Amino acid sequence: MTFLILVVAITAVVFLGLFLLRNRMKNTWKNRAHVVMAYPAFLILLLMAYIPMTGLILAFKTYDFTAGSFYTMPWADPIFKNFRVLSASKQLFYTMTRNTLIYYVLFTVIGTFLNIVLAIAIDQFVFKRVAKTMQTIMIIPIFVSYAAVTFIVYAFISPDTGIINQVMGTHIEYYKSSGVDYWPTILTIVKMWNSVGYGSVLYMSVLAGIDTGLYEAAQIDGAGKWKQIWHITLPSLIPMITVMLLLSVGGIMKSDTGLFYQVTRDIGGLYPKTQVIDSYILGQIRSKPNWGFTSAATFFQSIVGLLMMLGANGLVRKIAPENALF
Amino acid sequence: MADKNAVQTPSKKKKKKGLSQYILGFFLLLYTLFCGLPILLVFISAFTDEMSIVQNGYSFFPKKWSTNGISAVLKYGSKLITSYGVTIFITVVGTLFGLFVMSMFAYAISRPGFRMARFLSIYLLIPMLFSGGILSSYLVYASLYGLKDSFLLLILPLSVSTMNVIILRTYIVNSVPLELMEAAKIDGAGDYRTFFQITLPLMKPVLAAVGFMMATAYWNEWQNALIFITTDSKKPLQLLLVNIQKSIEFLLNNNNVPASVRAAMGGTIPQQSATMATVVVVIGPIMVAYPFFQKYFVKGLTVGSVKG
Repeated sequence: MTFLILVVAITAVVFLGLFLLRNRMKNTWKNRAHVVMAYPAFLILLLMAYIPMTGLILAFKTYDFTAGSFYTMPWADPIFKNFRVLSASKQLFYTMTRNTLIYYVLFTVIGTFLNIVLAIAIDQFVFKRVAKTMQTIMIIPIFVSYAAVTFIVYAFISPDTGIINQVMGTHIEYYKSSGVDYWPTILTIVKMWNSVGYGSVLYMSVLAGIDTGLYEAAQIDGAGKWKQIWHITLPSLIPMITVMLLLSVGGIMKSDTGLFYQVTRDIGGLYPKTQVIDSYILGQIRSKPNWGFTSAATFFQSIVGLLMMLGANGLVRKIAPENALF
Repeated sequence: MADKNAVQTPSKKKKKKGLSQYILGFFLLLYTLFCGLPILLVFISAFTDEMSIVQNGYSFFPKKWSTNGISAVLKYGSKLITSYGVTIFITVVGTLFGLFVMSMFAYAISRPGFRMARFLSIYLLIPMLFSGGILSSYLVYASLYGLKDSFLLLILPLSVSTMNVIILRTYIVNSVPLELMEAAKIDGAGDYRTFFQITLPLMKPVLAAVGFMMATAYWNEWQNALIFITTDSKKPLQLLLVNIQKSIEFLLNNNNVPASVRAAMGGTIPQQSATMATVVVVIGPIMVAYPFFQKYFVKGLTVGSVKG
């Protein structure tokens, strides 16, 4: 109900405002058809992305469910109280921040590397029909939901019936805290299985755009295949690599909850190596949230993401301005 | 050049089918198997006899085949059908709605002479740089909007995404001739008519590409459902999977669950082959639809990759 009122009210304000200001905003009024067309998506972004940003304010409030909404809750006293809670539970916060960062670096470095290797390999492969069939299979995993992947992973690493234990002749309890050290490897493999085939498509499109004359010239100059890859193929991929890294760096504090909450089955014994900020927050929402801690962690997560993005973009703008995002 | 795909357009490089090609092919084949075999295992396990799994474990070459798993899935009966209905509903409605509002937005911000386009482009980019996170969304959607347990939360959050709008806009700018739209205007077509009768029909390839990616996202969505949906009749398929897993977890971790509770929960621990059969039912439709859309989305992805 509140939602409907909001939708109607915002719409009324926007269009009434446009109508009243039509003499001042001549260009916008002349293009009002475009305003109308852009409006639905504008409204959805406002309601689903922009207004939720205000939820971060909770990090500076004392949670009180008797207040109507989090806007009207009393301010924390002192204002950074929630962040003191955060630093009081240092161990927990440290563990999940560390895990988040380590997995981000692992996935980004290994993922980018494999994307490029696979793209070049397929590009160099001369049996194009075979390559296309292989590519079809390589892309499929991205379409399998993590809810389903959970069961596939179980089939491989279940202690009694899992394929890995059968083949290796071992009996490792991967899902108990004794098996916690295997999880960084397991999660990395699952993530690469899921995303590399799909991720390489982008790089392949760049490879297809390279002027073949360059390769021919290199060949005449006596450069072998490896030399050609090193001096022609890789440099031409750098703009795309930069853009992809920039796009991903804003999410440095975010993680795929499907991977960390579902595939790990949210098992407490595995937390030391598998709990990330997002899976912690999701778990908190599902149970009874520790509001102070969770809201401060959320605030930290958002701000660090923004700063990393701005920092990385600024850096790129200094080194290679043409590759910067904005 | 950028909209070519390496697989579809063999380059004019000198082709040598030497030994190195076969070695390369061997490694590519290995990677293909790495990607494909786990999915094959799901299908095999779904048709493996339960005793075979319990005694010998999961296997690509089961000792005994059986269709008991699949028929056990039918035991979920109406629950499964309801969830299927919910998932199909949110997938179809969400994808069509999202494509519609996003292509209108993309069209509007690609119009030359529309000054507000600059503001709207920045407005579009900001959510990619900064977001409130899961907790903030939860608070706003559930308590501020009062949308808990509403289908709207399964549809709206995924319907507009910055990346998809950029892909659509790039396609309009690069592949829909501006002259065509201007000619329509001279012939007296209004802005709406130009969009619906000229631009939209020309966007079919990119709509197929973005549409398939969106449909997959909707089909696979479980997180919002897990957080917001409480009524059984509104639970999508993925949540069914999540719940099966949760109940297995619960039974495994509680050895002292009395028999009566077990009975109330619908029998014993869900059987492994039956669980795999459920996975087949959940991921099957996408596996079937995907090959038909592959050429579109490989192309769409490629086109959209040009920085906007």
